[in-house]
Amino acid sequence: MTLTAQDLLFYILGGLSLASALGVLLMTNPIYSALCLALTMVSLAGLYASMQAWFVAGVQLIVYAGAVMVLFVMVLMLFDLKSEVKAFSRGAVAGFMKLVAVGLMTGAFLAAIYNSADTLLGTSLAANVDGTASTKALAQMLFGKYVFAFEAMGVLLLIIAIGAVALSRIEGGTHADE
Amino acid sequence: MPQIQLGLGVDSTETIINVIKMFALFLLMVQLVPLLVWVERRGSAFIQNRYGPNRVGPLGLLQLLADAVKFLFKEEFRPKKGVAFMYYFAPVMALLPGALSFASIPLSVPIVLKGENWGPYNFVLQGYDLGIGIVFILGISSLGVYSLLMAGWGSSNKYSLMGALRASAQAISYELALSLSLVGILMVYGTFSFTEIVAQQQGPLTFNFMGTQQVWNWLPNWGIFFQPLGALLFFAATFAEANRLPFDLPEAEGELVAGFHTEYAGFKLLMFYIGEYGHMLVASCLLATFYFGGYNIPGVTPAEVTAFFAGFVGEGNLSQILTAVTYHVSLLLRVLLFLWIFIHVRWTLPRFRYDQLMDLGWKTMLPWALFNACATAVILWLFQK
Repeated sequence: MTLTAQDLLFYILGGLSLASALGVLLMTNPIYSALCLALTMVSLAGLYASMQAWFVAGVQLIVYAGAVMVLFVMVLMLFDLKSEVKAFSRGAVAGFMKLVAVGLMTGAFLAAIYNSADTLLGTSLAANVDGTASTKALAQMLFGKYVFAFEAMGVLLLIIAIGAVALSRIEGGTHADE
Repeated sequence: MPQIQLGLGVDSTETIINVIKMFALFLLMVQLVPLLVWVERRGSAFIQNRYGPNRVGPLGLLQLLADAVKFLFKEEFRPKKGVAFMYYFAPVMALLPGALSFASIPLSVPIVLKGENWGPYNFVLQGYDLGIGIVFILGISSLGVYSLLMAGWGSSNKYSLMGALRASAQAISYELALSLSLVGILMVYGTFSFTEIVAQQQGPLTFNFMGTQQVWNWLPNWGIFFQPLGALLFFAATFAEANRLPFDLPEAEGELVAGFHTEYAGFKLLMFYIGEYGHMLVASCLLATFYFGGYNIPGVTPAEVTAFFAGFVGEGNLSQILTAVTYHVSLLLRVLLFLWIFIHVRWTLPRFRYDQLMDLGWKTMLPWALFNACATAVILWLFQK
């Protein structure tokens, strides 16, 4: 059995993403959870890169690890976390929610594996795809075949942004009653 | 026992040289820091009509060596209520984005070495060519914020935390303008790869105008002539990304002591500085690569330079190496000029107020970057018909 650098990279990145994903769940401090999630994003980007999906890897780094998770961590650092730490860790409601979340996640995973088993096993990856060429192919798919879904997602995100701005404009903020 | 194959070269010689190259590139970044600190101190002194450090060694050059020794032997210190892992990891994290980005920039033309019974080896003066250079650099540099956030949180100090929050808000705001200003470059050159972008900037200024090809021999084919606004926006945004004056609010000493690195001393503080200068170095290299022809020398091609050296030392490996050195110096001259501008701006402009900083990022630079991207698309579409 020969272990290529590709395999070695896969085991390291896969292990890292699994370990950090577990860390997200097991850490009691929300900040550590968020940082673990950022590490998961980075190792996922590494996995994409090892599959020659260069552009997806880069965007994963820029958007998720570089922008979304930074905002998460930033906002979490502004909170007084003592009550949140308790709410996250103990209690019957929290336990029930955790069980529900685990059930939902398991269902989602099983469905995803069941539906994609044929596709995954059927296709093989083209070796050494040029980064620019594969990005062009991706863009043609995105702006040609799937343009409606792409634009709909854009509109959805815009609605969320407008909603957030509208909420922040309410007199006294969201805690006006307190 | 599984056998491990590393895909780092065609044979063990090339693998070893490639590994050495990675260390050399890292050291190249690190060794530039003392020189830049020296330029910064002496330069600021001359701008402010002072002498600056001029006692240790010729022109005060050895002052930095003395400082490094001082940094190494400082007392080990950690805030008691801080988070040890984050406190120690943040300075290391500060080095990573600069070093990883710098290694992906081509520094000179490739060297092809060939002996009687070995080779040919094709050495690129670049850590790795990923083919998606621009996206990779944007992704890696966006991770630099974590270093500041971890330092701010791990120090368990209100000033540090405020500095870290300012830094991350600023970095995210200016990252948008930075990325959008590069979209124009992507459209003009149609590739992510630095090597190809540099190759396309070879020769005299050539462009399509109303269906006819124009060649202007008196100008080099540099990106700045196609993307002047993009170059300006990119240059301004890199100041914010590197947390340099006039955008150095994360460490505004009048308000926040020293910002995110208030609790750091000794070599850990020095690592933050290396990170900051690494950012400047990468920004200067990118500015040269995208807008100022990379390592190209206007008026000549690499083959002509090789032929010129072959006239002195004969055809062969030495002329190849001399060509690569010449082209590296050509890039280095530009990079050093931009680094000097970085330093000069720091000692010329006053610091922005925080709301001015955010207004500039979101209400001025972002719309102009969007306009630049749209205008480039329209002009390319019109002229390429």
